[in-house]
Amino acid sequence: MVEFTKQVGNKIGLHLRAAGEFVKIAAQFSSDIRVYHGERFANGKSILGLASLAAARGANVRIEIEGPDEAAARKALEALFDAKFYED
Amino acid sequence: MARNKLDKTNRAHAAEPVARAAAPASKLETKAEIERRGVSASPGIVIGPAFVRDDDRVHVPRKLIDASQVGAEVERFQKALADTARELRAIKSDIAKRMGEDHARIFDAHLLILEDRMLVDETTAAIQNERQNAAAAFERVINNVIASIAGIEDEYLKERTIDVQDVKKRVLRMLIGKDTRTVNRPSEPSVLVAHDLGPSDTAQLDRRMVLAYVTDLGGRMSHTSIIARSQGLPAVVGLENLVNRVETGDTIIVDGNAGSVIINPTPETIQQYENEMQRFAELEEQLLTLTGYPAQTLDGRSFTLSANVDAADEVESVLDHGGQGVGLFRTEYFFISQDYLPSEEDQYKVYRQVVEGMGGRPVVIRTLDIGGDKIAGYLHRSPELNPFMGWRGIRFCLTRKDIFKTQLRAIYRASAHGSVKIMFPMISQIEEIEQAKQICAEVREDLAKERYKIGDHVPLGIMVETPSAVAMADQFAREVEFFSIGTNDLIQYTMAVDRGNSKIAHLYQHLQPSILRLLRLTVEAARKRKIPVSVCGEMAGDRLSVPILVGLGIDEFSVSPNVIPEVKRIIRSVTYDECRALLRRVSRFRTTQEIETEIEALLKSHAANNGRAGA
Repeated sequence: MVEFTKQVGNKIGLHLRAAGEFVKIAAQFSSDIRVYHGERFANGKSILGLASLAAARGANVRIEIEGPDEAAARKALEALFDAKFYED
Repeated sequence: MARNKLDKTNRAHAAEPVARAAAPASKLETKAEIERRGVSASPGIVIGPAFVRDDDRVHVPRKLIDASQVGAEVERFQKALADTARELRAIKSDIAKRMGEDHARIFDAHLLILEDRMLVDETTAAIQNERQNAAAAFERVINNVIASIAGIEDEYLKERTIDVQDVKKRVLRMLIGKDTRTVNRPSEPSVLVAHDLGPSDTAQLDRRMVLAYVTDLGGRMSHTSIIARSQGLPAVVGLENLVNRVETGDTIIVDGNAGSVIINPTPETIQQYENEMQRFAELEEQLLTLTGYPAQTLDGRSFTLSANVDAADEVESVLDHGGQGVGLFRTEYFFISQDYLPSEEDQYKVYRQVVEGMGGRPVVIRTLDIGGDKIAGYLHRSPELNPFMGWRGIRFCLTRKDIFKTQLRAIYRASAHGSVKIMFPMISQIEEIEQAKQICAEVREDLAKERYKIGDHVPLGIMVETPSAVAMADQFAREVEFFSIGTNDLIQYTMAVDRGNSKIAHLYQHLQPSILRLLRLTVEAARKRKIPVSVCGEMAGDRLSVPILVGLGIDEFSVSPNVIPEVKRIIRSVTYDECRALLRRVSRFRTTQEIETEIEALLKSHAANNGRAGA
């Protein structure tokens, strides 16, 4: 299992559209992906779960990935955060 | 229309004989006339039957299904998801074609919701384990999701529940077996009344059946407003709780000019509006004959008539109404309508569209006047106790230089495509204009280094809208190349009156003697330095104020596109000399009442001239 923490750096946080970008990437991997924010967590392949996390701009989210392609999934998701969900 | 109302009453009686016996008189009385004020989103007046979009009242049947039916019910659910996805993809490509890829992008998120594992798995589990019917199971699961998103404190994140609601309604209709396109469609030309209209709603409407739009939510840049303007239909938005006050079939008047609606108008009110519509139609006709004529007084003094706009789609209307330029392009609405801070490229595209659309006519672009009543969610500003006196306009831009510079870069780049002027809002002290000019110089230098083309000369000007700017007008006139008087804020700050507060709204008047003095000071200061003065507040379009502004000798009137013909008509019916004399007379008056009476008398004496205004 790999885990890492990232800050939500796009202008308005993990809203529906940004969650959609996350899901599009997460769905390409067979590993299980979980996203934690505060006391909540969501399946990283669920757009509604992610949108319910209330991760506003600047929030830190922890991501746990477990499965055969966990390293590749981590790399791809980190890149998404670094690109600020392609918004800026 | 009256027949409709009667029919409905009759039906109600037939169904409820007891109620009829109990309260015969009140049931037969006509409904009371109600007037509601909102935001004018698209001009024009319409009287017609209301069609209330009944989308929140989908009745979801609940039943326990037989164990043998479970497999079939799960399949039915999956088929509903697949059918909804097909419908959404069709809408998406239609929107992309008609309005551009940007508008279509939100449907990607809608499609992902349909595939959401949590949603699909939990609904399937509820069907299998609890033997709920698919519609009831799905509704419960998605309502939980909506409730948890709605509980989020962040205003922006919360706002997006409308997308989930949109998907919920579609799937439910698919499951219940009603065709979305007929359920939501009026069968006679009607005024569409809705809580809010999303992109997918308007895409499916039969335009021949819609006379006007009115919605509870929304502002001038909301989807409904943009659609209404592009279709040339009247619209009033931001009416709060209108949906619950109107029933389908009620007669409704939509006054897109004043931003108000009247439900169940009395025959007298209808008559009054029919006259108003007649006048509006005549004005529109006059406009066609007037477009070719200059805004010139009988004794030959010319004025520039420009338009105030919020969006690129209004340019066509400006030209149709004979606008000679854009006197005020309010850029903040573009910022507010976005989900995130628009990039330099985003802004450049919009500014360029307006500048090119005006084909070389001058366009005054006002830099971001965010704050006050218009706060964009993504800026995450904390609420202010007194926002109109707070961190807004140039004050905001000078602290958020990153945002300011990005906007200036976009404006300067657009200036290569036509005639652009830049105007700064909410200026109250000299240092602000000094700093703003400095930043403009830096931006120009950067762009030159990066080899961008910019306009040869881009004049810088200020909004004169604080009393302190008036008091220092002679000094500001040395710093800038034009003034534009924003009368709305100037009156608010001078009279210390919040025009939205009905208890004191009477203080908010264009023709306050104090306001006339401030206008005069401003015009005199500008004249000494030979810089032009425009008036871009609502006063410039106010019938009684026009002769005064003519007499003051301002250079330009900037008003809503649809008001241009009216202003032109008044200018063409008076002489500059008599307006100057009028101004001298009213300058001695101490009350608004006296001033208005004097102007009324002048306009009345010219009433006979109106007929030949276009000749």
